[in-house]
Amino acid sequence: MWQDITLQDVLIVSTLMFFSGVYGFLTRRNLITMLMSVELMLNAVNINFVAFNYFLHPENMHGMFFALFVVVIAAAEASVAIAIIIGIYRRFKSINIEDVSNMKY
Amino acid sequence: MTGLVYDFSVITQSIDHYLVSHWGPSLAATIEFVLVGILYLLIYALVGLMLVYAERRICAFIQCRLGPNRVGPQGIFQTIADFIKLLLKENIRIERADKLLFFVAPFIIIVGSFLAFGTIPFAKGLHALDPDIGLFFIMAATSIGVIGILLAGWSSNSKYSLIGAMRSGAQIVSYELSVGLAIVTMVILTGTLQLSEIIEMQRDGWFIFKGHIPAILSFVILLIAGTAETNRGPFDLAEAESELTAGFHTEYSGIKFAFFFLAEYMNMFVLASVATTLFLGGWMPLHLGNFETFNHVMDFIPPLVWFLVKVFTVIYIIMLFKWTYPRLRIDQLLSLEWKYLLPINLFNLILMSVIVLLGLHF
Amino acid sequence: MMSITFHQAVFYFFSAIIVIFSILTVTSKRILRAATFLLFVLLGTAAFYFILNYAFMGALQITLYAGGIVVLIIFSILLTSHVGERFEPIGWGKMIASALVSLIGAGFTLYVLLNADFIPTQAPLPDASVKNIGTALLSYERNGFVLPFEVVSLLLLAAIVGAIVIARKEPHDTENPNNE
Repeated sequence: MWQDITLQDVLIVSTLMFFSGVYGFLTRRNLITMLMSVELMLNAVNINFVAFNYFLHPENMHGMFFALFVVVIAAAEASVAIAIIIGIYRRFKSINIEDVSNMKY
Repeated sequence: MTGLVYDFSVITQSIDHYLVSHWGPSLAATIEFVLVGILYLLIYALVGLMLVYAERRICAFIQCRLGPNRVGPQGIFQTIADFIKLLLKENIRIERADKLLFFVAPFIIIVGSFLAFGTIPFAKGLHALDPDIGLFFIMAATSIGVIGILLAGWSSNSKYSLIGAMRSGAQIVSYELSVGLAIVTMVILTGTLQLSEIIEMQRDGWFIFKGHIPAILSFVILLIAGTAETNRGPFDLAEAESELTAGFHTEYSGIKFAFFFLAEYMNMFVLASVATTLFLGGWMPLHLGNFETFNHVMDFIPPLVWFLVKVFTVIYIIMLFKWTYPRLRIDQLLSLEWKYLLPINLFNLILMSVIVLLGLHF
Repeated sequence: MMSITFHQAVFYFFSAIIVIFSILTVTSKRILRAATFLLFVLLGTAAFYFILNYAFMGALQITLYAGGIVVLIIFSILLTSHVGERFEPIGWGKMIASALVSLIGAGFTLYVLLNADFIPTQAPLPDASVKNIGTALLSYERNGFVLPFEVVSLLLLAAIVGAIVIARKEPHDTENPNNE
């Protein structure tokens, strides 16, 4: 049905998405935005799983199931991460990682 | 097959053949998308306006007033006049608000309810989308709306809006659970998520009769939780007039306010349609066992009429809620969900599984 | 040769949305705008899944990401920052270094990608209907996923409990957190 799209097209998009996530993770100093960058990267990987599944090995939909579990685990991860962020905010009145460096020592 | 067949897929398919033969598949698909989109937008707006009118009349009826009755016969053009007035009103610019998000928020809400609206089966073959994940798709689409509410509340830089948005966010997120579980309970009985198949299975009896006790329970739960999820009725503390002026859309004016208003009513319509499709047989006529004559008379009424009559009955019930019960407090609201609806729902889910396993349904 | 088909047009439209909004997500100065742009990226990803015929995956993406994670993120933003707040500008050195890292990474990956020789399969398209997915998720045969399914359900339970325990207000350290 969608034979006029190639695997490369999808992978280029997911690569750009992944590396903008990397850029965000390196430059951002706010915990929530860093979490958002991580979500971007997870999504890019998910697209890759589904695309490889669809274009190369469509037999058992293994790629899709992998992506499905990644999404579910990302939800669990985000909920715990946000609980931690709220806890940090309560204690330090800030979610900037420069202000939360107590744990280094 | 019964006497009269109202199958709209014949019409849509012939239009499709015509377009494809004239312009080729790609252009035809584009034209179809545009056509269906415009048609659905028109229906969306019209149904929304009708619902606003209906609500005002019903509210007036309950409060022993007349309601709108000047513009047109029985005042049916009142909301259209109001709509034109809103279109012409000034869009007030808010100082120190986040302009972009303030602009985007109403559109997110509208997109959410419009996507869900697209899957509603009005009659046989008369729906824009019929994916095999039907009900799941509707739940996914309606879950976008809450983001619009949160964005609207935050970006308008007003305390009323922010408190309203937070309340409404907590409310929608928690009641989504009950709506989902009520739907899942029914999915155990139907065994499919596709709306057209669900309706087809109710040819010889609606699910509210077939599934008896658990179906009735989940119908009631779906109505309560759905009312809460659309921020209506006794659960409208996100926009409680006496406390928060208007909640998350306090700062909105003109056409954007109309968007929020429209989305609220259309969410109610979607909820009523889902309830109708799941429990009341969608566009299927009412059939009573072996009363052949009765069944034939019922078949004679077009499915579209059946569907709309059922939907508006459900909407009438929802509106009765709103105008007869006092508003809940936030703690009452949350304890209703977490202490009553959720346990009942889980129990109901198990009951339904047992009934389906033992074949105790009709 | 046909110039561009309808499918391709749809695909390029969503690709453009994904790329533009991913970049905006990581460069926007206001935190809630970044979250909104992230929402658009996630919806674009869902559109990709719909394009590739994995409707279930797309709906899951919308429900869990757009309806779950983004709502969580926006909630925590509402609790921790206020409108009008901007991020401080990042130092030039750091910005250039990060940009270089990501550009080199992207360039290298793209180079590998474009030179790789993917052999498109001739196998029939997968039947990603809900029925198949459900059967596979609960099957313990060769291609079944019942073990990860159950493990994930345990993980979710642990995450729920963990999140509640972490974010709970301690009853007696409200005033001075250092005074044990």
